[in-house]
Amino acid sequence: MQKEEGEMGGGAEAQMEMVGKAFVKHYYGLFDAGSRPALAGLYHPSTSILSFEGRRFDGADSIGRHLSQLPFDLCRHMVATVDCQGSPFAAGGILVFVTGSLQLSGEEHSLSFSQMFQLVQSTEGRFYVQNDIFRLNYG
Amino acid sequence: MLSFEGAKTQGAAAITAKLTGLPFQQCQHNISTIDCQPSGPAGGVLVFVSGSLQLPGEQHALKFSQMFHLIPTPQASFYVLNDIFRLNYA
Repeated sequence: MQKEEGEMGGGAEAQMEMVGKAFVKHYYGLFDAGSRPALAGLYHPSTSILSFEGRRFDGADSIGRHLSQLPFDLCRHMVATVDCQGSPFAAGGILVFVTGSLQLSGEEHSLSFSQMFQLVQSTEGRFYVQNDIFRLNYG
Repeated sequence: MLSFEGAKTQGAAAITAKLTGLPFQQCQHNISTIDCQPSGPAGGVLVFVSGSLQLPGEQHALKFSQMFHLIPTPQASFYVLNDIFRLNYA
């Protein structure tokens, strides 16, 4: 494979896929276990942005509060696809694009959704969610 | 970079070849939602789209979602750094 300027080497790309996929598992794991308040810890106190069905929330507190207060007890995410790409020119963020369906307790039919995250590394080396956009996909 | 239904392509020439080589002549995208967010200090913009697309001759429209990461150029334009496209099956 021809290596172009700016292209990551094979090792960096594989690592990025691993981080993206591990994050998705962790995120929906917390969400579906009913630990939605714990999700606030994945976002930055001031710079993170969530767009949830068109409504915007800024900062970990506001985001955590919205996710905790969603009007259902239990949810099960069934992830169909995960795509990852790096954005090296934007300080090394990882873009993660997810599609799948989700089942809310008590509801007869599952809902189709897609969601994207931009993961950015903090100065301590941890990844946090800088950008999060969630949409249900209606027919 | 473009991820199209899981297949990755890098660079404008290869991406253009991929898109022009798709096995249909016409396509109509019907956009349902567009969400935008700033991506960081470089002035980038994340654009998240959902909707449906109709191919001629096909009876049913297909649902899709797509994200773009736009980066500003010195000439005050934008280019697509990241593009991820997925059909949304039921």
